[in-house]
Amino acid sequence: MTRYIIRRILGFIPVLIAIALFTFVLMRAIPGGPFDFAGDKSLPPQVVANIEAKYHLDWPMWKQFLSYMIGDDLLGEEGISRGVLRGDLGPSLRYRSQSVNDIIATTFPTSAQLGFLSLLLALMIGLPAGIIAALNQNTWLDYSSTFGAVLFLSIPNLVLAPILIWIFALKLGWLPVASWGAKPPYVLGFLPRLSQLNWDYVSHALMPVFALGTSSAAGIARLTRASLLQVIREDYIRTARAKGLRERVVVVVHALKNSLIPVVTVLGPAFAGLVTGTFVVEQIFGINGMGKHFVQSVGNRDYQVITGVTLVYGVILVIANLLVDITYAWLDPRIRYD
Amino acid sequence: MNLKKSFSIAFAVLMIASMLLVACQPQQIEVIKTVVVTEVVEKEGAQVVVTQIVEVTPEPVVVEQPVTLDWNFGTEPPTIDPALATDTTSVDVIHNLFVTLTQFDPVTGEVSPYLATSWENGEDADGSQTWTFHLRDDIPWVKYDPITGETTQVVDADGNPRFVTAFDVEYGAKRTIDPATASDYAYVDYIIKNAEAVNGGAEGVTLDDVGVKALDATTVQFTLQTPAAYFPAIAGMWVNAPQPSWAIDEWAEKWTEAGLINTSGPYVLEAWIHGGELNLVKNPLWVDADNVQIERVHGVMITEASTAFALYENNELDSTGVPLPEMDRVKADPELSQQYLNAPNPCTYYYGFTNNKPPFDDARVRKAFVESIDRQSLIDNVLKGGQVAATSFAPPGIFGAPEPGTVGLPYNPDDAKAQLQAYLDEKGITLADFNAMGITMMHNTSEGHAQIAAAIQQMWKDVLGVDVKVENQEWKVYLQTIKNSTPLEEMPHIWRLGWCADYPDENNWVHEVFNNQSGANRLRRGCVDATCTEVVPLKFDELTVQAQQEADPAKRADLYAEAERLLAAEEAAYAPIYHYTINSVTKPWLTRNFPPLGGVDFFNWKLDMAAKLAAQGK
Repeated sequence: MTRYIIRRILGFIPVLIAIALFTFVLMRAIPGGPFDFAGDKSLPPQVVANIEAKYHLDWPMWKQFLSYMIGDDLLGEEGISRGVLRGDLGPSLRYRSQSVNDIIATTFPTSAQLGFLSLLLALMIGLPAGIIAALNQNTWLDYSSTFGAVLFLSIPNLVLAPILIWIFALKLGWLPVASWGAKPPYVLGFLPRLSQLNWDYVSHALMPVFALGTSSAAGIARLTRASLLQVIREDYIRTARAKGLRERVVVVVHALKNSLIPVVTVLGPAFAGLVTGTFVVEQIFGINGMGKHFVQSVGNRDYQVITGVTLVYGVILVIANLLVDITYAWLDPRIRYD
Repeated sequence: MNLKKSFSIAFAVLMIASMLLVACQPQQIEVIKTVVVTEVVEKEGAQVVVTQIVEVTPEPVVVEQPVTLDWNFGTEPPTIDPALATDTTSVDVIHNLFVTLTQFDPVTGEVSPYLATSWENGEDADGSQTWTFHLRDDIPWVKYDPITGETTQVVDADGNPRFVTAFDVEYGAKRTIDPATASDYAYVDYIIKNAEAVNGGAEGVTLDDVGVKALDATTVQFTLQTPAAYFPAIAGMWVNAPQPSWAIDEWAEKWTEAGLINTSGPYVLEAWIHGGELNLVKNPLWVDADNVQIERVHGVMITEASTAFALYENNELDSTGVPLPEMDRVKADPELSQQYLNAPNPCTYYYGFTNNKPPFDDARVRKAFVESIDRQSLIDNVLKGGQVAATSFAPPGIFGAPEPGTVGLPYNPDDAKAQLQAYLDEKGITLADFNAMGITMMHNTSEGHAQIAAAIQQMWKDVLGVDVKVENQEWKVYLQTIKNSTPLEEMPHIWRLGWCADYPDENNWVHEVFNNQSGANRLRRGCVDATCTEVVPLKFDELTVQAQQEADPAKRADLYAEAERLLAAEEAAYAPIYHYTINSVTKPWLTRNFPPLGGVDFFNWKLDMAAKLAAQGK
């Protein structure tokens, strides 16, 4: 198992370099550059040339990529970048006093907290709902669970979030309209400080976590139900029942564990997607998360930022998938990695 | 089976309930005050910014709540470095942090004294125009300490307190012009002697040759490339603000961070959490501190207009913009309608024509398309924000701008039809042939632009019977498409853009935008060939150059009026649509200005904190 994990981690390196290369090339293939215009105003060519020279955008593409990966000093050039391989994701082209590292250090923790809580909520609602629906197939419990799942799956966040704000913040006045309860600096770089874990934090988190969590919960509920229904008809369940095991043991020990494989499979990407931020929910609740940088940096042609956040997403995704694969071995003893 | 069922239900209910319990339990709020400290330290041979938490034992004395303005900047300011700023958010912050040579009067928009108490123009030995500014000597450079919360005056290496001097102005202007600074707005200073050459990296000129010189600590002189009557407005722009050379040398790019920044204006930077919050506190050492009533500005960065509006309704913002979907409700609501105000915003929305692309190479076609736009109907039914119908380019308040509606082509469907018919008759084609040419209109992707384009497309259809295809592209792709280098066949016939004032003079409008010798010439006027590599100046282009160098204000105004008329009415080279307005709501306890130029002026605003707290129920 250990050798398997080490092999997998070594395998991440080419994957991440490929992600960096693809993002790098794709962004530069899009027409328009970061400094063509200031607002509606076109800039004189020499002004653009000055800025491009400062950020090395006048270099040939291979050299720009090398500088991005290993840093300017190793290329024997003047410059501020120390290279991705040495942990420097470069300067932001749009926010000129900030580096991509600064941007990620400020925004990722908020997104991670929001995403993690949402996933937790999704599991807490989705798993029980799916199990109840499967065990009570074609009863009112199943129908209402299905109805709830379809409802929350089909209401987009774009609609749900403003409705929540209108009801709970404006009409009832129970919860704050917007923003996130904790502010940097964070413990270990991403956890809220103990002094921040209070009602203020919870009240700010409730609506965005609900908006984000319910749609995932609905998906998990549907998947759990379908998977459990399939497993419950397997021969080994009939065997377990024939042996006279109590129904609870049959469901929890034999059926549920095996039925979780599809759920765990989608959890990996879902985790990576949620903790790196979601544009719509963060935007509507005014949360300073990383989600906006996935969208806005493309519009701004902020090459370093989009490549940086994509890399962060990539790292989290490959790690999440590795954890998923390890979990398989535990869920299904037939799976071996040696 | 029933038992098992109830077990699983109970299990689920328990899980949800426990989660809610955890979530709903209010915890004790700890009263340890934590402060964010940003400092730069040497690490591995490089300077690294370190942010850490410092816990401060709370003061036992009960401090009265400072007069606090809750403000939404709307977005993270890309920079608060005066040399680099280009956008309104950055300029709003800079205007409150840094003093500038001149300022625009927040009400009238006129250039008025600020750091400079007086100025005069003259000529140097070579006959170049010079502008000499006489500065006051009592404005201190200050620094805010986030740990103690104290604002202190900056001292130099010898321990002497630093005041803003003419040398800081010279340094600031030269830093903007220096190509190594890579400033977007360096081009605004191209009017200064040798600035364009130095910024363009020309051989044989250095920063020392740039026409800005501190004659002594309180006198700075600018020498211009070409005479410009509007120069005091340019001198007062943020790019020419005095800048603290010592702090910039010490901290490089990071000098604008909270705790490091040295400022000279009415406010100091208390905290800047990038993307989340930017707070200002009053500078107690400011020369006019007695008249700065708002003691703290708590600035958030909510992009979503409807969320900002909800915050406003919840008394969490003191003033905000009105999103279009809320406009009807605001106007109808007895309370909100009292708080609603639309103020002019010196920007113009226009449709440009590709003047050398058939059939738009014929002025009659362009006139027909302009005259069939019913701007007032567009404003009343689509925009709804009290915008001003534009028939010429520069909006009111800009020097030389004609009164809207007096110059240019108003809505005139009969003449529009006649103009198009005349063209069709001369070419011997029918309307169907005309439509077969595939007239295309393009805008950048946005809900607002799409609505406007749909309305105008319908007006063209109704009045002229022409079919115009509307396309849209993502902003940066769009900007490439409408560039001059795009082949003619790929250019749309009609495209949209807007323009906002940098300084209140027509030169910033008709000359910088439309002059085919100096501007980008996106209208492709006066092209000798299809590729537009060679351009001849038309009457309009000669007039704007002439007006730039004219010293007599009355004659300049006349020249600009004529230039506006030529472009909008005679050539009909573009279709002005409307002048912008700022649609906002303001709480009754806040008295604010809507400065048309130069950024918001928190230091001139007044806020009744008692009324605000009462409304918030505190």
